Amino acid sequence: MEALSDFWRRFRRRRTAVFGLALMAVIVLLAALGPMVVPGSPWEIVGTPFTFPFVDPAHPLGTDVLGRDILRGILNGARVSLLVGLSAAAAALTIGIVIGACAGYFRGWLDDLLMRFTDVFQTIPNFLFAFVLVAMFGTSLVNVVIAIALVSWPPIARLVRAETLSLREREFVQSCIVIGMGEGSIIFRQILPNAMPPVIVMSSIMVATAILTEAGLSFLGLGDPNVMSWGTMIGIGRSALRTAWYMAAIPGVCILLTVLALNLVGEGLNDALNPHLKNR
Amino acid sequence: MKIKNIGLTRRGLARSLVVPFAVLALGPLATAHAEPVHGGSMTMSLDPQPSILVSALNSSSPVYVVSSKIFDGLVSYDENFNLIPRLAESWEVSDDGLTITFHLREGVTFHDGEPMTSEDVAYTFMEILKQRHPRGKSTFQFLEAVETPDDLTAVFKFSTASPYVMRALAGAESPIMPKHVYDGTDVMKNPANTAPIGTGPFKFGEYERGSHIILTRNENYWDGDKPYLDQLVIRLISDSASRAAALESGEVQYGAQYVIPLSDVARMDANPQLEVSTDGWGYNTSVNYMDFNLRRDQWQDVRVRQAIVHAIDKDFLVDNVWHGFATPADGPITNRQADFHTTDVPHYDFDLDKAAALLDEAGYPVKEDGKRFSMTIDYSPSGDTYSQTAEILKQNLAKIGVEATLRAADGPTYVRRIWTDNDFDVNIFAASNIADPVIGLHRFYWSDNIKKGVAYSNGAGYASEEMDEILEAAQVEVNLEKRKELYKKMQQLAMTDLSTYPIVYINWFSVYDKSVKGLNQTALGVYENFANVYLED
Repeated sequence: MEALSDFWRRFRRRRTAVFGLALMAVIVLLAALGPMVVPGSPWEIVGTPFTFPFVDPAHPLGTDVLGRDILRGILNGARVSLLVGLSAAAAALTIGIVIGACAGYFRGWLDDLLMRFTDVFQTIPNFLFAFVLVAMFGTSLVNVVIAIALVSWPPIARLVRAETLSLREREFVQSCIVIGMGEGSIIFRQILPNAMPPVIVMSSIMVATAILTEAGLSFLGLGDPNVMSWGTMIGIGRSALRTAWYMAAIPGVCILLTVLALNLVGEGLNDALNPHLKNR
Repeated sequence: MKIKNIGLTRRGLARSLVVPFAVLALGPLATAHAEPVHGGSMTMSLDPQPSILVSALNSSSPVYVVSSKIFDGLVSYDENFNLIPRLAESWEVSDDGLTITFHLREGVTFHDGEPMTSEDVAYTFMEILKQRHPRGKSTFQFLEAVETPDDLTAVFKFSTASPYVMRALAGAESPIMPKHVYDGTDVMKNPANTAPIGTGPFKFGEYERGSHIILTRNENYWDGDKPYLDQLVIRLISDSASRAAALESGEVQYGAQYVIPLSDVARMDANPQLEVSTDGWGYNTSVNYMDFNLRRDQWQDVRVRQAIVHAIDKDFLVDNVWHGFATPADGPITNRQADFHTTDVPHYDFDLDKAAALLDEAGYPVKEDGKRFSMTIDYSPSGDTYSQTAEILKQNLAKIGVEATLRAADGPTYVRRIWTDNDFDVNIFAASNIADPVIGLHRFYWSDNIKKGVAYSNGAGYASEEMDEILEAAQVEVNLEKRKELYKKMQQLAMTDLSTYPIVYINWFSVYDKSVKGLNQTALGVYENFANVYLED
């Protein structure tokens, strides 16, 4: 409990972090409750196409090229974007942590093998790789999440490996080895909990990157065409950019705010968890 | 959406009423300005970038655009498909349709100085078009030989009458190629494919991939003092918003087909410096079709197919997806081919109640979960219009309890899925009718064209003996009236069987700076050779 209040004290020291957290809370709330407040499918054609925002009270944020309500799209898109961001980041973390921990703990040939494997993934430009994966396996939401996870785990693996390499030489780990603790227990119960702070900081950024990647894929027409995400909305609005800029701008601002919020939270976490900054 | 329609009608009215009046009132002034001016460089935009520059070997649209300036054909066509002499000065068709004699123009040379003779014509048709052109294989399948009694006479001998050949002779579709450059080489790998040598009004200058193509004036062009332009710059701009900006800033003076987003057309039209025109598309007439994959169980009952097409709201599509640049389709032959087009076919109006009733009858009642059955919709990746059509269809199908899932794909994946793997339920795409139904339409309805791996063939898997008989008869029928009658029957049958269903006829347009004159004078439009194009100062 004391640790938690201590954490919160350090986190809120940075005002922008608190702002980011509040912003994030608003976005999560919108995603959770929005579709209940404004019901109906975001794909349904409900109004006159090309209605600007604040013109028709029935469609406060206007309608898109085919007369679909933009507010509905934004609220549903928030769910999709957060879902994609969180699940892709979770999947990437799982892969990255397992590979990084094994490489760092066992070292030797396994380390070499896993790190060369990581190198292979790291040398291919992330976005292009995701693009190819989705093009190959089809444009469903699950495939998009898998593709994003597959391209974003290498930095996590590198980070966890580095932490593990240094932690495994510490006395408390050595003593665990001496008392005969199993390797799995040592890795998961002793090393990883201590390696977590930088990973947690990185994962908030990773969620943001995943949201951006999904938006990029959807913008290029390789998102799931049955799911209204913010990227899909920008893609739809792209061709009308010169005549109806709001179609791309509104979801664009949403992505901007979400990514900003996640980055600010990430910085706050860094302050709160980084031991070097503890006593600042 | 109403406003847009008024806008178009107003422009249509303005064109039909004001123009004759203006000509009457300003007659002398207008003629004074009509004198073409020599010189200058015109910049046009093109996308996507062509892989080669010779349309005899690759029939994709950007290749046609570039190649048609460098290569002339035997003839060209006006908007009513009357033949305009080009490299052939005159021709005779024998009564049985088995022999066509072309008298070639004297004194025509290729860009490298070699004279163009009947040998080149024979080589072009027999060795290149018949062997290598994607459509040429079927267009010229009955062409047995091209005889060359002298340098300026080419006699085409057919084993079976092929009247449609007379519509496949324009420079874009059948460019006359230099035999001395290609003979004895690997045609597909000849370096001249990316630095072509033709007889057309423009010579190849340079091709900077990803940037531009420069064509320069052919000083020795046969047609008087044409071409008027000194240079034609073709800029490769892949983003439609950038193309729109380039047109508005005057950086680019001409663009056609997918040049700007349809939602930007109204704004371009309002720009006093720019002209938006739907003229010049007689030859390149696209129709937006939907294929039913007839291999699938759920489409076996025609009532199910009828129900799906009753859920297509063509008027809404024309207004909102095509922004007025399309016409609701009747039969599979576009209204731009006026001689074969007919409205006397079964129509399927937008009627969801009827669609629901048809599905009830066909044994697809609404189940407990509120659905009848599920299906997928695939659509062409070339442009927003097809994805939007799919999105709207999906919404309408949902209202009658049919759950549709859209499947997006990149170009190669899409082509493989539809025409190689035949893995789809319905597919929304566009294809050109080209100049004659034999060339542009038989591929979708003739059972011989169920060919795995051939893009834009009979993807529906439609095989009907009755249809095959009509098409085979129409292919060799020399009498135009009888051919018309056959195509009427063909269209009625196609609209009864519903394998490849026409949704709208697309009205392509070009956007150009008002200082550019002499465009869109023939049915070839952007595929014309631009010898008549000039810049007014």
